This record gives sequence, C-alpha cells and structure tokens, in this order.
Amino acid sequence: MAREKLGAFLMLIFSVAYGVGAFSIPLSFLAQRETFTSRTMPMALSVIGIIFSLMIIILPTIDEAGKETFGTTIKGMEFKKTTYLILLMIGYGLIMKWIGFIIASAIFLIIGFRILGEKRIKVLILGSIPLVCALWIIMSLLLGVYIAPGEIFYMMGII
Amino acid sequence: MFETMMSGMWTGMTATFIPINIMMVLFGCFMGSFIGMMPGLGPITAVALMIPITYGLDPTTGMVLLSGVYYGAIFGGSTSSILINEPGEAATVATAIDGYPLARQGKPGKALAIAAYSSFSGGTIAVIIMMFFAPLLASISKGFQSVDYFALMILGLTAVSAFAGKGGFAKAMLMTILGLMLSTVGTDQTSGTQRYTFGSLELLDGIEFLMLAMATFALTEALLLVLRRDECSDSLNPKSIGFKDLKVTKKEFKLIAPTIARSSILGFLVGVLPGAGATLGSFMSYGMERNLAPKEEQEKFGKGSLRGLSAPETGNNAASTGSFVPLLTLGIPGSGTTAVMLGALVAYGIEPGPRLFVDRPEVFWGVIMSMYLGNVFLLVLNLPLIPYFARLLAIPRVIMIPCILFFSLMGVYLITFNSFDIQMMVIFCVVALFLRLMNMPMAPLLLGFILGGLMEDNLRRGLSIYDNSISFMWERPLTLGINIVTLIVLFFPLIRSTLGGLKSRVMAS
Repeated sequence: MAREKLGAFLMLIFSVAYGVGAFSIPLSFLAQRETFTSRTMPMALSVIGIIFSLMIIILPTIDEAGKETFGTTIKGMEFKKTTYLILLMIGYGLIMKWIGFIIASAIFLIIGFRILGEKRIKVLILGSIPLVCALWIIMSLLLGVYIAPGEIFYMMGII
Repeated sequence: MFETMMSGMWTGMTATFIPINIMMVLFGCFMGSFIGMMPGLGPITAVALMIPITYGLDPTTGMVLLSGVYYGAIFGGSTSSILINEPGEAATVATAIDGYPLARQGKPGKALAIAAYSSFSGGTIAVIIMMFFAPLLASISKGFQSVDYFALMILGLTAVSAFAGKGGFAKAMLMTILGLMLSTVGTDQTSGTQRYTFGSLELLDGIEFLMLAMATFALTEALLLVLRRDECSDSLNPKSIGFKDLKVTKKEFKLIAPTIARSSILGFLVGVLPGAGATLGSFMSYGMERNLAPKEEQEKFGKGSLRGLSAPETGNNAASTGSFVPLLTLGIPGSGTTAVMLGALVAYGIEPGPRLFVDRPEVFWGVIMSMYLGNVFLLVLNLPLIPYFARLLAIPRVIMIPCILFFSLMGVYLITFNSFDIQMMVIFCVVALFLRLMNMPMAPLLLGFILGGLMEDNLRRGLSIYDNSISFMWERPLTLGINIVTLIVLFFPLIRSTLGGLKSRVMAS
C-alpha cells in the first residue's frame, strides 16, 4: 500500500472515531434546541475528514514521493536511536518535577549526546552542564522566571 | 491616506527605534540566521523555538523579535543551500539550483554575497510596497463582519492546500481538517461544554499552541535527522571562505539589478496570497527569470548562473515580507511561519484582524518599520560574519540534535510549568513523525489548529446575526466575493492541469 494511502486510511479511522466522539459531547436542554451547538463543528469536520480520506484512498496517487510503500520509506532508518531519544524525552518530563530543572536537563543532554554516539566525557560534560547553568541564570536571574527546585530537595529537607 | 501612512510610520518608528527593540531585531536576525542555517531546520522551527523567550516581552517587542527571526531564518537557509546543497527548508531549494554549482566552481563567497545583497534588496523593496499596500487593505477590511471573517478563513485554509503542489491538495486539506479537529479539544468558549477532554483537567484549556508547534516542527525535524541518518555533507569546506571571496564586481551588480527589481515585485505579490508563501515566491521568481533570460544566459541556469541565484533569493525574501500583509491586516496567515506568529499574537492577548491596525497601531507599524532595520542588520551583520557563520555548519549533529530537543522541551515547560505538557508533546511528536513519513504536510495542520477556534466563533456569531441561516454566504456581496475567490483557488489545481494539458497539446501540434 502506498504510504499516502496508509496515512489516509489511518486518518479515516481517526475521523470516524472523532465523529463518534462528537455524539458524547454533553448538550444542555437549551443547547439541544439550537441550530449550532458544540457538536456541530466536530460532526462537520468528521464528515469532511472522511470525504478527504476516502478521496486519497480511492483516487490514484499523483505525487511520486507518496507512491512508495511505508516499508520502503522506513527501510534502513535509524529507529533504535530515535526510540531511545523519545524515551529520553518522556523520562525528562517524568523526572523534571522531582529532581529539578538543572539536574534533569544536564542528565537529558548527557544521555542525548551519548545516544547519538558521543563518547568523550569532556564533551559530554562541557556540552551540557555549562549550557544548562547559563540558561538557568538567564531565565531565573535576568528574566525573573521562577523555576521551582525539585520536590526531592523539599523532601530531603535541603530547601 | 498619505497622512495616515505618515503618522503610522511615525508610530512605527517610535515603537521600533528604542534600545530594547533595536536589540531584539539584531538578536532575532542573528538567531534566525543561525537556526535557519542548520540543515533540516526552517523558519517555522526557528520562530517556534524563539516564542518562549517572547512571552515575557511587550507584544510589539515580541513581534519585532519574531519577524527578525523569520527573515533571518530565510536568509540563513540559503547559506546551507549554497555551501552544502542542503536547503534548510523548501523556500531555499531554488537557491541551491545555481548557488551550489557556483560554490563548487570555487566561488562560495561570491554566491553567499550575492544571496545576501539579493535578500536585502528583495526584503527592502517588499517592505516599501507593503507600507502602501497594508494600510490600504487594513482600511478596506475595517468594514468586515463575522461572516466575512469566516469566509476569509475558509479562503486561507483552502489556499494553503491549493498551493501544496502536484497531488498535494487532498493531503493538505486532510491535515487542515486534523488541525481543526485538534482545535476543538477543550472547553467550548460559548457554551462552556467540555469536548474531547476525556476527564483530564490538563485538557480543559485545550491544546497549547506552542506545544503543538514545537512537537510538529522542532522535535519532528530533529528526530527526522536521526531517523534518516542525515550527515552533514563535507563536499565543501565552509572554513575555507575568506573576506576577500565576498567581493561582487560592478558588472555583476549590473547583471542582477533588473532581476532583483522583477523578483521583488513578483515575490511580494505571491507572498500576499494566503497560503502561497516564500517557497512559491522563490520558484516563481526563478522560473520567470529563466524565461526572460537570453538563450546563452538560459543555458547557464542550473550551472551557477548569477541571475539564477539572485532571483529565488530576492523572491523568497520579498514573499516572506508579503506574507505579513494578510497576517497584519486580516488576521489570516500567508504561510506556515506566519501561522505560528499568528498563534503568538493570540497568546500575547492581541486579537488579530483589521482592528489591529486601529487598536494596536504600534504593533502593526512597529513590525513594518522593524523590517527596514532587520534587512539592514541582516546585510551589515551577516556579510562580514558569513565566514564565521559558515563554520557553524560544521557543528556535529551529535551535539546539535539533543540541544534542539532540549530547547523545545524547555521552551514549553517554562511557559506552562506542567510536565504533562512534555508527555503530550512527545505523543504529538511521534504522531507527527509518522504522518511525515506518510508524506503528509504539517504546516496546514498548524494553520487549521490556529484558525479553528476563530472560525467556529465567527460562524456561530454570523449564524446568530442571520437567524441561523447560511444565506449570508451568497446574499452579502463581500462574503460572496470572498467565496468566489475561494472557489477559484479550490479549482486552481484543476485549472492549472487543464491549462498545462492544453499547452502541451498546442506545443505538440
């Protein structure tokens, strides 16, 4: 299947699900008697989404780039490192609240550089810690943006 | 009219020529050039990355900074196109056609200098035209009603899809619809009803615009660089460029002067069309120049022609300036980048549209006047810095990519201080990554998302004025006129292919 058609197929499923979800939008008694309610726009969008998805699926693909299959497109791509980076970003979001901006960001950058193949400890340290500290100084001291320290510091009684 | 323009210019000058704004123009141009130069990163990413910094600033200062980033990024993109044949984004692809061969002939400095002069001239001429054009359009659009806005937004969204290129119309429309769908998430402002929040408190206010912009552009672009194993081309050593290589002779200036004049006007006019943007501006300018060139010059196109380099560079800068016209006067973005800027305007608490000209003249004129300054800065700053900027291309991806990811995540976190947004951003990034791999464009999605709420509000208001009837679509002359233009734009791909078929048949006979 051409990758464009696969994309359209997924969008078709999404549009149908979105349209079905529109029926679950609560309406007050008065709103039910109105012509334009909170459901109107979602329902219209769902129908238009279905129409365009079907158009792409049914009509022949003109764009040469869209004709190749999804398998061909992703063949030889670097999924391992990309997945690690995605997991790293999720982890960054999870630990930020607990260990604070500076430590979480430094860890994020060091691991990020390492995932992409940087092995020199000097680069790992110098590329991350000074950058994070400089940003913290700019944001906190110069621009006056309050960045809360990690909760762990409160729990340990350090702050 | 002339008096309004003069007083507006004065307002703009007093708003722009203050130390903080001058500094911001300079900073914006520098950062835009820097980010735009990175292969794979375009002006949308550059503007999105800089938005968090502007949140603590005055709206005029914020817009001035973002404008500087925009045209700085367009200029920066040409550097990577010329030196390593890796355009930062689609608008500088045409620059690589003649810029890279010129660099390969041992004239990278000359190619960069011509690109800098052309960008400066294109940008400046376009600002002069804009100064006359924008107030005129703004005063006409003061009579617009909700229904006209609704029609205009439909036109803007359709135009983005219509100019998407061969076979791209349905895909762009589908992505626009997805953007509109995402804009419905959260609490409906009129009825107070929750839509698609799934009981989550974090979704009550809807999806954060900056989070979506960062996820679909900055994060996705960075991860695509990893996925595709893109490595910086070492075919040309950027460190080898010296100051003496930047010299352009009088004869060469004479050769490109008419090209600059023509491409500036064409680029500006193309940029004004909602949805056309810098890409179309650069390609159309290149095409026009090749058609107008004498036969012996035509043969040089694609092999390092100075006119072939100057035309798209002038065209894309003029078009980027032109794309500010619909943004500032109608509140309709002319390109993906101006769509992000529109989102920033809304985030500053400013209602985009014709009222901007009346209610916030300092923003309206400040942006216009800052462009003069920005263009001068770009030339004065970039020309001597070209050799140094070129060296930045040697920054290893191993360092650059985690930094882009970090700045994107940090940018969103420092605005919302909610780690849930980081998780959601990653989810959107993964979805956008797959959509990109399926050849789906992202700019229409963002445009749909930004205009979605405004569109629904205007339609709702219009229906309540016209007793729940959609007759305004054909009964009100102005709305009808806009709808006719939308229909023309909608059928533009069909008209284009029909004309193309007719032309080839005539040629064959």
